[in-house]
Amino acid sequence: MTIRVLKPGLQTTVQAGPRRGQRHLGVPAAGAADPLSLALANRLVGNALLAPALETTLTGVSLRFESRAFVAVTGAKAEVRLNGERVKRHRTLAIAAGGELEVGAAQQGARNYVAFAGGIAAEDALGSVSTYLPAGFGGFRGRALRAGDLLAVRRFDAAPQMLRTPKAFRPRAGSSLALRACDGAEVGMLNKESHFDLFDTNFSVGLRADRMGLQLEGARFDVSSGGRLASAPVFPGTLQCPEDGKPFLLSVDAQTIGGYPRVAQVARADRHLIGQLRPGDHVRLLWRDADSAREELLAKHDYWREWLPGISGIV
Amino acid sequence: MYCCGDDLVAADCADTRSAQALADHLRASGDWLECVAGIASCVAQFDLASVTAEQAEQRLLAAVQSVPPVRDLDAELIEVPVCYGGEHGPDLDDVCSLLGIDREAFIDQHTGGEYRVDMLGFTPGFAFIGGFEAAREVPRRPQPRVRLQPGSIGIAGGRTGIYTLPGPGGWQIVGRTPLRLFDPGAEQPFRLRAGMRVRFVAISAAEFDAGRPA
Repeated sequence: MTIRVLKPGLQTTVQAGPRRGQRHLGVPAAGAADPLSLALANRLVGNALLAPALETTLTGVSLRFESRAFVAVTGAKAEVRLNGERVKRHRTLAIAAGGELEVGAAQQGARNYVAFAGGIAAEDALGSVSTYLPAGFGGFRGRALRAGDLLAVRRFDAAPQMLRTPKAFRPRAGSSLALRACDGAEVGMLNKESHFDLFDTNFSVGLRADRMGLQLEGARFDVSSGGRLASAPVFPGTLQCPEDGKPFLLSVDAQTIGGYPRVAQVARADRHLIGQLRPGDHVRLLWRDADSAREELLAKHDYWREWLPGISGIV
Repeated sequence: MYCCGDDLVAADCADTRSAQALADHLRASGDWLECVAGIASCVAQFDLASVTAEQAEQRLLAAVQSVPPVRDLDAELIEVPVCYGGEHGPDLDDVCSLLGIDREAFIDQHTGGEYRVDMLGFTPGFAFIGGFEAAREVPRRPQPRVRLQPGSIGIAGGRTGIYTLPGPGGWQIVGRTPLRLFDPGAEQPFRLRAGMRVRFVAISAAEFDAGRPA
């Protein structure tokens, strides 16, 4: 089955699960910036939860289907139209041959996920089909989609059940978010007052916000006094404090090694939320110790397991 | 041993090679999601759903105590051809004036040593190659260059770095190799590995063009 890209949007890529176990070779995770929304979309079309799907960025995407397809859209708040008619997100949509799907611009949140029964046939590179744009590999030719691209979708065995995500399992897109976070390796470079500020500032997301990471504005942290740091491993969720004092929150495409103080680490339970942050959104960090972060992760898994039995492989 | 996140534990190491040895040892155990060495530390990521931070710290401590000594006599040696200066090495003259030597002396020094890949990191396949002590005081450029060619050879802080992807970079670029050191589609995507021994060999611009990968 083939899908033609009519309007590609700002940056629409094929994303699935992350690359795992290769950071020591300099290979970033990539994968869906909001893997929970990816899983919710795949759930509605009967796919494996991390099957390859489209990830849109701020703007939407328009697609034409050359044969019958089953599709679902989840993630940011946006208008979705099927052959010009408004349809709902969080539902299995049946599309006849020749049908056109239009995902509108994100009104709240940053990214939508468009999943297709069968999953997109995508290039595996270094153990995942997820697109890693900086190096141009994975996904669809290692790049963002362009108008006229033809995407291949794998054959599905049987039409999926027509489902809707239960209300309790629809994440609310918002413009204000709290992220639970633990102290980072160089938290000691912050004085007491700065540490208090780190967890007491209502940050806003700066204009520099992409799959690599997001600039947080609202407070500056003087961490330059410690002198030059030896480059050290960083991960998605690491909050770095570069010399300009503005914290930078790393996301899924983050480099593997960094030279700036790591002042905090967003807890695993909340890392999926980073992918929905957009410039101007408000962010607060909530301090946690490792034990309470773990209890909260297990509680999140318990909550989601009813709808997404594989949740512990997602979040 | 310290936590640096809910699912990250770290150990400080005496040097890069011992950090690499610890990361390799941890990876071989299969207990960890990621094991990454830095310049003087090693960080391991664990599955927080099945392991507590306390258990992870205990495992890391046990690994630190059982890590085998660094063995490097049998490391593979690779020769990296480099076209120094000119369009391929725009910062060569700046580096020479920082070191107070001329181009020939710099090239003699750089090609005269045997180096070791300290680690791959930053971006896929980027190699931090240690052992260029003469350039210990050479800093990074105050403003990174916006777009480097893949194969660019940079100098900073006593290390040589090889950029494998086009993109921005802050090291002082002294030359470029025609070797393709990272190819995501290849069976062995990474030509360099941590621990490998490296020698640089000077080549002319014509030799560079002849050996340039398509």
